[in-house]
Amino acid sequence: MNQTASLTEHPERKKLQPYKQNRWKKNFWGYMFLVPALAIFIMFMWVPIFKGLLYSFYHVDFVKGNTFVGFENYARALSDPDVWTAVKNTLYYMSLCLVIGFWVPIAFAIAISELRKFGGVVRVAAYLPFVIPGVVLYGLWRWLYDPVGPINALLGWVGVDQISFLTDTRWSMISLVIMETWQQFGSGMLIYLAAVLSIPRDWYEAAEIDGAGVWARIRYITLPSLRSLIILMLILQIIGTSQGYQSQMALLDGGPNNTTLTYALLMVKYAFTRLDYGTATALGMLMFIVLGGLGIAQFKLSKEDN
Amino acid sequence: MKSADRGILSEHDLKKTSNKMVYGLMVGVIVIMVFSMLYPILMTMFNGLKSNQEVNSFPPHFFPQEWHFGNLKDAMKYMDLPVFLRNTLYIFAGNMLMTLIVLGMSSFSISRMNVPYKSAFYFFFLMTLFIPATSYMVPNFVNLKELGLLNQYAAFWLPAGANTFYFLLLKNFFDGIHPEIFEAARIDGASEPRSFFSIAVPLSVPIFATLAIFIFSTAWNDWYWPSLVMHSEQKYTLATAIYKYVINVKALNTNIKFAILFIVSLPPILVFLVFQKFIMRGVALSAVKG
Repeated sequence: MNQTASLTEHPERKKLQPYKQNRWKKNFWGYMFLVPALAIFIMFMWVPIFKGLLYSFYHVDFVKGNTFVGFENYARALSDPDVWTAVKNTLYYMSLCLVIGFWVPIAFAIAISELRKFGGVVRVAAYLPFVIPGVVLYGLWRWLYDPVGPINALLGWVGVDQISFLTDTRWSMISLVIMETWQQFGSGMLIYLAAVLSIPRDWYEAAEIDGAGVWARIRYITLPSLRSLIILMLILQIIGTSQGYQSQMALLDGGPNNTTLTYALLMVKYAFTRLDYGTATALGMLMFIVLGGLGIAQFKLSKEDN
Repeated sequence: MKSADRGILSEHDLKKTSNKMVYGLMVGVIVIMVFSMLYPILMTMFNGLKSNQEVNSFPPHFFPQEWHFGNLKDAMKYMDLPVFLRNTLYIFAGNMLMTLIVLGMSSFSISRMNVPYKSAFYFFFLMTLFIPATSYMVPNFVNLKELGLLNQYAAFWLPAGANTFYFLLLKNFFDGIHPEIFEAARIDGASEPRSFFSIAVPLSVPIFATLAIFIFSTAWNDWYWPSLVMHSEQKYTLATAIYKYVINVKALNTNIKFAILFIVSLPPILVFLVFQKFIMRGVALSAVKG
């Protein structure tokens, strides 16, 4: 009896144990490799995100402790006239970035792809402003835009009246957008250029034989080939510009007369100037609700692209 | 042969006068573009070498009439650039190491190891892409404060391991390495950490170089976030220090201002000119986030 029992039990145990061990061993390192990243993503991304949701209902006070205030922060944010000015300014900023900045890299990518010589030099030159640090950009452009700076010197030379680029309320935002376009178009241009150069040359050959002119070739071959990239870049630009605040803050601090006060800048000011972290996180949550949809659209598009 | 030589325009097109004129116009616009890109950057350099009187003269000169190389020395005297430089490099080195270890290992695990529930983990990392960074910037700061990390380098190093974009770049790179290499290593008895550190990492030098450039330029350019996190002057990064002591200061002579701006733009410009190929490829990669 005893013997048979041990005989029936023993092989089973032998079978089970190595299997369990193997499975644990097999996946042990896989999990170990994931653990640090999981911990850090939770600690420095998900915790802040959930704290953001939580604190938007709290009055945050580092000394006395936080108190629950319900929807008070949201009410304060939505009744602040500055918030609506900021939303308007942000929309204005976004549309200026589209009108002034969006088409520039596409146009230059197509033009530069046609250069027979010096293409490399032109590429390097176009990208160079993107390399210089933001603080240098601000210092430099403050001087360029100065009433007695080089741009006004050029305007005077062609016979146009002086423009106070930064202090004139009509020009302040436009000046910032021109500055940012100057700095950033090179990187967009390189992305488009890679796509333009990947279009098979034979298509142009075939189109030309069929009698398509130069513009027709751009209109019916080049641009349609760039279509999905253009849409992706458009969404990326909208996501980026809707959160813009750094150059507005660095050069003008939202002025003159709140004309460059963007939504993100107002949020930052609520937090770090007025030290009202609760309202600032509420503003952040509202931003997240509006922009979350765009993020999903971008993800879907870039997946299709791949 | 012939088709490789042409672009949108062929040799034949360029024989037509109207096309020739458009092409000439296009070249002209590109020349103006190149000029307007280079002029402000060269101006930063030359203004830093002029006398203060000359910088403020109207209309501005391009080349200095007198070369004042002493400005560079005055610039170094005005602020303690080496200390801020050291802080910036600390942040760069720590961020690089964290990215390499934390994101390298996790993306390797997702890409080349058979972990159960792999797609769930992958989705967990990816989900953060939907959330606009600025929207949780304030709670992020509050979180760092509550963790007691403010004014410490760890406030940069630890969160550097939570970058979904770099995670994706690494994962896509590992996906491109043949799995057979790792199979062979496993059969030969290599442990998983060993096949990561002695096979995957050496093969990934190109992607790490691209990441190094991204991380370098972030550490070098970022001025606002460090100014919030680091509140003691001794720990400011270069960009923050320059924002605080140069950009918004009225009492500083313009020529010295430009000399400082020139000094801090020089390293990134040199890095760019030397590593052009990596950088240009990195830019193309940044288009396919996701």
